Amino acid sequence: MKEKNELAPHIEDITRALNEKVSKEQIEEELHNYIDIYGVPLGTAKRAIVKKHEGDPQNLFNSAEKRIEDIIGDERSLSIKARIVSINDKEIEVDNEPKSIQYGILGDETGTVPFTSWEKLPIDVEKGDTVGIQNAYANTWNDEPQVNIGSKSTVKLIDSEEVPQFESQIQPCELKDIREGMRNLSVTGRILSVDKKTVNTKNGEKDLYSGVIADETGKAQFSAWHDFGLDVDDVVRIEGGYVRSWRGIPQLSFDDNSDVEFLDDDELPSAEHLGDINVLSISELAKRGGAVDAVIDAVMIDIKSGSGLIFRCPECSRVIQKGACRVHGKVDGESDLRIKGILDDGTGALTVIANRELTEEVLGYDMEEAMDIARDNMNQDVIKDEIEEKLIAQPVKTKGNVTSDDYGLMLIANDLSTKTIDVEEEARKLLDEVRV
Amino acid sequence: MSMINREVAWRIFAEEFNRSTLETGGSEERSPSYVITPLGAKVNRVYVVGVLTETENIGTPAEPMWRARVTDPTGTYFISAGQYQPGVATALANMEPPTFVAVVGKANTYKPDEETTLVNLRGELIKEVSEEQRDYWILESVKNLKRRLEAVTEASQMEEVSVEELVELGYDADLADGIQLAMEHYGTPSLEKYWRMIEDSLRYILPEYERSESVSQEEDEKDQGIEEEVLKVIQELEDMAEHDNGVEYEKVMNTVIDNEGIDQDKFEEAVNSLRSSGKVYEPVLGNLKIIV
Repeated sequence: MKEKNELAPHIEDITRALNEKVSKEQIEEELHNYIDIYGVPLGTAKRAIVKKHEGDPQNLFNSAEKRIEDIIGDERSLSIKARIVSINDKEIEVDNEPKSIQYGILGDETGTVPFTSWEKLPIDVEKGDTVGIQNAYANTWNDEPQVNIGSKSTVKLIDSEEVPQFESQIQPCELKDIREGMRNLSVTGRILSVDKKTVNTKNGEKDLYSGVIADETGKAQFSAWHDFGLDVDDVVRIEGGYVRSWRGIPQLSFDDNSDVEFLDDDELPSAEHLGDINVLSISELAKRGGAVDAVIDAVMIDIKSGSGLIFRCPECSRVIQKGACRVHGKVDGESDLRIKGILDDGTGALTVIANRELTEEVLGYDMEEAMDIARDNMNQDVIKDEIEEKLIAQPVKTKGNVTSDDYGLMLIANDLSTKTIDVEEEARKLLDEVRV
Repeated sequence: MSMINREVAWRIFAEEFNRSTLETGGSEERSPSYVITPLGAKVNRVYVVGVLTETENIGTPAEPMWRARVTDPTGTYFISAGQYQPGVATALANMEPPTFVAVVGKANTYKPDEETTLVNLRGELIKEVSEEQRDYWILESVKNLKRRLEAVTEASQMEEVSVEELVELGYDADLADGIQLAMEHYGTPSLEKYWRMIEDSLRYILPEYERSESVSQEEDEKDQGIEEEVLKVIQELEDMAEHDNGVEYEKVMNTVIDNEGIDQDKFEEAVNSLRSSGKVYEPVLGNLKIIV
């Protein structure tokens, strides 16, 4: 027999669909009868009761209504009631036609879930609104469920009391686990850097304190919308933080609704130690969508065109082809060096970009010399050839921020060095393990 | 919202890759296809470092079609590069075997006849490398194989292979999916052979082990006996054949398996060994011929 409180929302639903013509007690008894005595599925039972009382089953939030934590990601028809945690517009191209879609985050008392509306929503919906969504469907993206609203779905505004507030229980969270849409977090970390900026917001100018925070599991960028007096090397516990993401990188945000407590220095290892522990596999990065100051161990398996000695437009810094900029036409290009390569660690692949300084380190000479070599060979490609010779098939350790967009993951390198590994020592260790 | 990540380059031993007979996906436009190996690797791209042992242009100078063989401690990768892989084709034309090479290639299946499915790599990139880089690759391939062996061990203890349960045990959804597909198609693999492959490959890069130490003398002699039988059967079939394109792999296999009472694994081991020691080759795909 179904638990009474499990049926309660459905009794509400039927009562509402019948404009409260019938008493809750009567509906409860009828529903119990259908489900527990005759074993009729919930959806069928609800429809039957509404029809029996001459109501329109269309007014029901249909039977598959779920709470967000129960969504698994293969629901073909899904109804939920949720609060709009965030909503954004996005322009995409479908068959060369521009199309506007909306995406964001839905929340109820059990959790949050990302959503995408593949049609512009029929009603204006804002952050904080409470909506009833019917006939949506769910799939998974990077193993996380997400809700899709399509042309067959309906969305309407409902009374905000229908969705209880997210239980504002503060959840301790390690930095490696932060994901877009999380709220009410408690994070303990050490401030590695902090800068004050003034930014324009909808509500006028605001001071923003942003930087990097680290714990023993990882690092994240943070944005503090309030002056907590944060300083480099402080160890703090932030209660009531939330997570936004920028180009795939999850960022910890907190404001004057959050509490910041300053802790003893020995609560966490030193900044130097924390700076070095963010070694991530590329598949892990793909799941997160991005990371700050990530350290990657991988093999360079390709060097892309546009690497080596290049020329940039003096106006806009775009790379120019045959002395002409795509925007500014014939220009006197300024020389630069860079590497665009593919790093692959056997779990995934990403594009790595290294600037002039790092490219000079790889080559072992500076740009002047690169220019001389290119002139001697009457060909600028020789520099790229040399980078290929030095890096392809080479294990590399690199560090930098990782972002993601439609073309996948990209790491902008702050450090890039070839790795020497004691193959024999590792092989012996592995051999001992497998021989047991 | 949908992000297209570049397909990962698998570090996988030739022996496992070459046993694959299943390919999925690729039916819809632009959807990638995967070769599924017996241990559940879903392979679209491979990164292999080994010894380039043979190169051959079976095309014309104007329209080259290069074939190459790259061996690792367990077997041989077959690489191809034609007009759509000009970089690799040009590089192969200029390489002198034997030499250590790194190859990035796309996994590909083909059917020389109805019953046979073979795999090869369409080269995307090839470069001469050092022995150290090869050793590093062996280490990476061992780690990759070990992880999958552990997952397959878990899966084979389940009544029915379940992607969800494997994910709960901490394996990637993609790997869990591959293992389910593999076990449906190939059945439960004999894992012992792969554990041995790990041990042998690790010994291969350690100076304190002689490269043949893993095989006892007795086994060695038995293996040699099988190899001799394979050669004998090929010779007999070649004598009966009306052309000199070699004889069908399947025919040789069935005859040897019947005569010697051995399993397919043993037979393939013998053929691989004969190939890498230069005693037999494949004049056309799916055929074996003795090198005289």
